[in-house]
Amino acid sequence: MAQIPNLDNAPVNLTSIREHSQKELINILKNVRGKKCLVIDPKLGDSLSLIIQSSILKEQGVELRHLSADPIQSDCTKIVFLVRSQPDLMRFICSNVHDDVSKGLQREYHVYFVPRRTVVCEKVLEDEKLHHLFTIGEYPLYLLPMDEDVLSFELDLSFKECLVDGDASSLWHIAKAIHKLEFSFGVIPNVRAKGKASVRIADILNRMQAEEPVNSSDMVMPEINTVILLDREVDMVTPLCSQLTYEGLLDEFLHINNGSVEIDGSILGLPQDGKKTKVPLNSSDKLFKEIRDLNFEVVVQILRQKATSMKQDYTDMTTTTQSVSELKDFVKKLNSLPEMTRHINLAQHLSTFTSKPTFLGQLDMEHTIIEAQSYDICFEYIEELIHKQEPLITVLRLLVLFSITNSGLPKKHFDYFRRELLHSYGFEHLATLNNLEKAGLFKKQESRSNWLTIKRTLELVVEDTDTANPNDIAYVFSGYAPLSIRLVQHAIRSGWRPVEEILKLLPGPHLETRRGGFSNSPSFDTLSGIPTSMAKVPDGRRALVLVVFVGGVTFAEISALRFLSAQESMAYDLVIASTKIVNGQTLLETFMEKLG
Amino acid sequence: LLWKESWELEKNPMASKGSPLHGPRTKLIEKAQNLFAETKEHTFESKAAEEHAKLLRLQHELEVTTKQAIFVDSSISDTIRTCIVLGNHRAALKVKTEFKVSEKRWYWLKVFALATIKDWAALEKF
Repeated sequence: MAQIPNLDNAPVNLTSIREHSQKELINILKNVRGKKCLVIDPKLGDSLSLIIQSSILKEQGVELRHLSADPIQSDCTKIVFLVRSQPDLMRFICSNVHDDVSKGLQREYHVYFVPRRTVVCEKVLEDEKLHHLFTIGEYPLYLLPMDEDVLSFELDLSFKECLVDGDASSLWHIAKAIHKLEFSFGVIPNVRAKGKASVRIADILNRMQAEEPVNSSDMVMPEINTVILLDREVDMVTPLCSQLTYEGLLDEFLHINNGSVEIDGSILGLPQDGKKTKVPLNSSDKLFKEIRDLNFEVVVQILRQKATSMKQDYTDMTTTTQSVSELKDFVKKLNSLPEMTRHINLAQHLSTFTSKPTFLGQLDMEHTIIEAQSYDICFEYIEELIHKQEPLITVLRLLVLFSITNSGLPKKHFDYFRRELLHSYGFEHLATLNNLEKAGLFKKQESRSNWLTIKRTLELVVEDTDTANPNDIAYVFSGYAPLSIRLVQHAIRSGWRPVEEILKLLPGPHLETRRGGFSNSPSFDTLSGIPTSMAKVPDGRRALVLVVFVGGVTFAEISALRFLSAQESMAYDLVIASTKIVNGQTLLETFMEKLG
Repeated sequence: LLWKESWELEKNPMASKGSPLHGPRTKLIEKAQNLFAETKEHTFESKAAEEHAKLLRLQHELEVTTKQAIFVDSSISDTIRTCIVLGNHRAALKVKTEFKVSEKRWYWLKVFALATIKDWAALEKF
């Protein structure tokens, strides 16, 4: 399975993390002797495919099944359930077991919770009077390497849970994941956090260190120098904008799931049998690594250039006599042909979307909203979208963006939009609107908006962006520099202090501390900047900054961070961790209440 | 708490979606409306619930008169569109005035609906 990315080039040893998770899973399976049927919750199955090949599982005498309400079809007498701790999944398990009981089947049941057992879930088993049948265990999978420089906690709903349901359990999960990283790479000395959730995570992290300390004495130098924690809530503008990088667009239109997209075979020029093909997208694909972070316009040009040069080589080849070494070069180039055809096909498919007037109109509107100069135009545009009954999610993206940049809409307009939405899309969406209001994403205006100040001070809108030779992160959105990444930029360069005024305008508190064995030595002054001597790890590698997005990160933001990391003046390697990789659509979808 | 309670009520009728028991459903929604109305902050929600109940009744009537079970649970805009597509302009107008649909939205809906049935003559006229 090519879907598992090669992690050899990762700035920290992520391979070891992955191998560790692999081993833990295999140990669990070894503990159940003989043939067994592993029943995985489908969501988790996707994630596991990034850790372990199914062939390895088969070697362990495992039959794989997906968990659903239907009874398990298997001859195995030993069943291992591997599930996230969610009560509704427990109901599936119960119905499966009840089914076995009614058929008179005697089986041995094991339940492993990922990443840990919860009282609620076990209560469900107790209520069904099945608790005694199970052997219960945990599979502590807290984070998943998605690529050389990207980690995911796989917490799809964390953002909504924190903002709407007031459920902060995901924060514990994140802190635990970081703490586990510290066991491998040493205590992270610098912590910078912005946003309510982030500050809480920093707090939990400190408590974990106090309760279960990482022994720092035998570590000469911690591998991770700084962790920057950022709430998604702090910057909701960026994920709502349409991403314009290659990978970002792939995600917007085709939905990248755990490092691969599933598309119609016909797009890739395969025979049209209506079958879906999975295309892995990660840094193991050299061409993709080269173009994933570029603005899509440029990607098209590069692919065209490559194709023409290939064609040139080919004609050279047929017309003139070649030396053996030249032939060898040519064959080498030919080897990259499948990759190229694949990306040319994908790019072509994408351009059918990007050339649509509706898409261009939407881009235009996003920029107008971000400019925040022409309220009426935006208002009328969105009104028209609703009247034309364009897809609800498209409307909500713009509407939320509009509401955030204006820190809410005047009550009259707020009610008007809500009424029009309910009339056009049905009253069942009242629950969704309510979620959005509760999360502060679409709300009544209560104070004047600070957006203009924020935009100006952080230089979020950059004129004359050269997408081909970018000199600023604004290239990822063709002119808009993502707020979140600007903050990271400042945090890395100088710490929070110089931007404190701006931070105060953004939601949530901020925090900056030093921890571990370093906490007693430095005076207050060194708190704000990392001393230059710290910036270089002895072996010449750059020091590492872990950037954690609490509530999701977009591919465009990852691209922007990679761009920063590639700058010469940058003293750090960046590794990104997020609750989930999101885009405007997937993020808002978590707020949609499914009724009926 | 009050809010939560009414929320559950709002959800309940949705859960029984598609069931022919519209009577109890509208009653539930009306109850929700009253609960919403008891607190000041939820006047909007209360209004929405009121309109929802009204819509369901109207759709029910339409289904009886047209003998087609296609109205219930579609939105107001969809209802208007369906009416026009079926050539029932009077019913469409009725829905429009009942729910004070703005002229702007009305025109969009009418254009789309007429285009769906390829009634170019009517489109031309209007």
